[in-house]
Amino acid sequence: MTEPLLRVENLKTQFFTETGTVRAVDGISFEVNEGEIVGLVGESGAGKSVASMSLMRLIDSPGEIVGGEITYNGETIFGLEEGPDGELREREDMLSPERMRREIRGNEIAVIFQDPMESLNPVFTVGGQLREFIELNRDLEGAAAKEEAIEMLREVGIPDPEERYEEYPHQFSGGMRQRVLIAMALACEPNLIIADEPTTALDVTVEGQILDLVDDLQEKYGTSFIWVTHDLGVVAEICDRVNVMYLGEIVEQAPVDELFYETSHPYTNALLNSMPRPDRTVDELEPIEGMMPEAINPPSGCRFHPRCPDAKEVCTRVHPDPKVVDTVDGDPHRSACLKRDAFDVGYDESPPIDAEPDVVAAAGSGAGGEDDE
Amino acid sequence: MRLLRYTIYRLVQSIPVLIGITLITFILANLAPGDPVQLMLHGQEVDEDLVRTVEERYGLDQPLHERYLNYMAGLVQGDFGHSIHRDRPVRDLMLDRIGPTLLLVLSAYVFAIVTSIPLGILAAKRRNEPADHISRIVALFGVSTPSFWIGIMLIVIFSVTLGVLPSSGLVYPWRTPADTSFFGYLAHFYDVLRHLLLPMIALGTLQMATLMRVERTQMINSLQGEYVKLARAYGVPERRVLRKHAFKPAQLPIITIIGLNLSTALGGAVLIEYVFNINGMGRLLIEAIQELDYQLIMGITIVIGFIFVIGVIITDISYAYIDPRVTYGEEE
Ligand code: SF4
Repeated sequence: MTEPLLRVENLKTQFFTETGTVRAVDGISFEVNEGEIVGLVGESGAGKSVASMSLMRLIDSPGEIVGGEITYNGETIFGLEEGPDGELREREDMLSPERMRREIRGNEIAVIFQDPMESLNPVFTVGGQLREFIELNRDLEGAAAKEEAIEMLREVGIPDPEERYEEYPHQFSGGMRQRVLIAMALACEPNLIIADEPTTALDVTVEGQILDLVDDLQEKYGTSFIWVTHDLGVVAEICDRVNVMYLGEIVEQAPVDELFYETSHPYTNALLNSMPRPDRTVDELEPIEGMMPEAINPPSGCRFHPRCPDAKEVCTRVHPDPKVVDTVDGDPHRSACLKRDAFDVGYDESPPIDAEPDVVAAAGSGAGGEDDE
Repeated sequence: MRLLRYTIYRLVQSIPVLIGITLITFILANLAPGDPVQLMLHGQEVDEDLVRTVEERYGLDQPLHERYLNYMAGLVQGDFGHSIHRDRPVRDLMLDRIGPTLLLVLSAYVFAIVTSIPLGILAAKRRNEPADHISRIVALFGVSTPSFWIGIMLIVIFSVTLGVLPSSGLVYPWRTPADTSFFGYLAHFYDVLRHLLLPMIALGTLQMATLMRVERTQMINSLQGEYVKLARAYGVPERRVLRKHAFKPAQLPIITIIGLNLSTALGGAVLIEYVFNINGMGRLLIEAIQELDYQLIMGITIVIGFIFVIGVIITDISYAYIDPRVTYGEEE
């Protein structure tokens, strides 16, 4: 098997706040191969954005990557080793901050942020911002960089790019700004683009256009994507493989069709149940109350057990790490649910817990209005 | 082009404001107690004819609205009327005094801006570190201490105790020094600075303190902005993130505050001129009030009002220069 473009192993990112340590990302592992679109799915607060920013080592204080390993194209973006006194320290081959900035950010891994209204600087022209990123990340200067910028604006479907180049962000609609952000990412010719909820702020029609555009461009440039979203509908449309995140952990990992048809984790199921039918408009799953305190002190055992309809006594004690439950065309299907046979901890014999899992029922009906099966 | 149109637009817009200033000032000055002719006479008994002749000469016998129109007609030509008390044109009296005031206010602003912006940025960068705490204490002191008190303290420390800086008067940079050689000018310039230093700091501290805190808040907000995150994600060096991407959008409120604080600064200048014995408009105003010289009071009030309006216009234009979202009001 060839090496994946990006390999994340047991990544842990924590925030040290006054109320305690928030384990925003708590030991996730996944891979991204060349030319594929990998989904990172979950509710807001599940740690998706923190995970994706960790990949570029862009975690602001009080946050910090505290463990795990990130390997990109043979280079170590993050890695720890044991020092002489048993202390964990950064590995020697880990890229320096300066090399991260020069060689990885923009050049190799680019991002598209969620909010096209806030992501562009209001006081600089769109063209100027695009050109600055091109000059930083490509061997192009001055007029050549400008030409490339205009070319990219045209490529992402912005009409009259020569004129729009000189305009300011407030003169663009939301959809057009998102195209500009996509142009920025593509213009730097990275091998991996992290798209952090790039269509969430847009209305459904524009979202559809943007997804089509990304699909076309992805085919043309062969760029890999990590697509961060809370919307399984979007996942179904563009992703090859999917990671479902819950409370800082990946609970299910599978190729996209497998995930939809052979769903293995009750949380994924809940997400699917909250999905709108094709004739319905997009709706969000109800967010979890008091998310961050929970990440400070997550539930024991399986973190999903307070909301899980299938939870049994054993789930409150045993913490499941994702295990392979199936393999499709060489791709593993992993799941972190004790119900699966791969976990031999006596789920079937375990007594049910008394508490009514009404939270999930509320989430399911509140979002899609579907009846329980 | 955009800015030129905006400038014209703002100038036209300010005309009613300027007219309003003259109208209100005129009415207030004329409603105030005290008959100017009687004041001139210092209570001496004279015959009615003489009083009437004087009233006629100064147009005091006409109805109020006509006097206002006459006054405005004069204003348009730069004639602010005649100071009865000093028997000189108000315009000449003010021309003698406006230079020092402008010098004082502008230098106080330069001092405030040059110090507050780097200090504010530093406080934002070192948020909740010792540098930030020190800046907070300095700002608290600056905001809560009256400028004249700072002025007196500066005089006590630097003039009286240490004897290193002069405590009174200004040396005007526009005067030609006695020695016109290069070194003569250098010495002159040095003298100007030495005299300006204390009143400039006394008047500028309040502005400095305010601007520093606003700059800090703005930079903290801006540094948390999505556009800063984006710049970092594309490998923009940290120094450039700070100086360009975070800095420019953060300056908009600063500009507004600079403009609005002009009134505080002009008011403060009156006291500072008194403390430092500077022959500026502020002192002239106080003298005019003591002498009940209404014509002069009116002239100074109007000029200060105009300076304020012009200051606000300049602020708005600089704002439009930085913020492309400002439109001229009629477009789109
Ligand atoms: S381990 Fe138990 S609580 Fe967790 S998802 Fe599976 S059945 Fe639900």
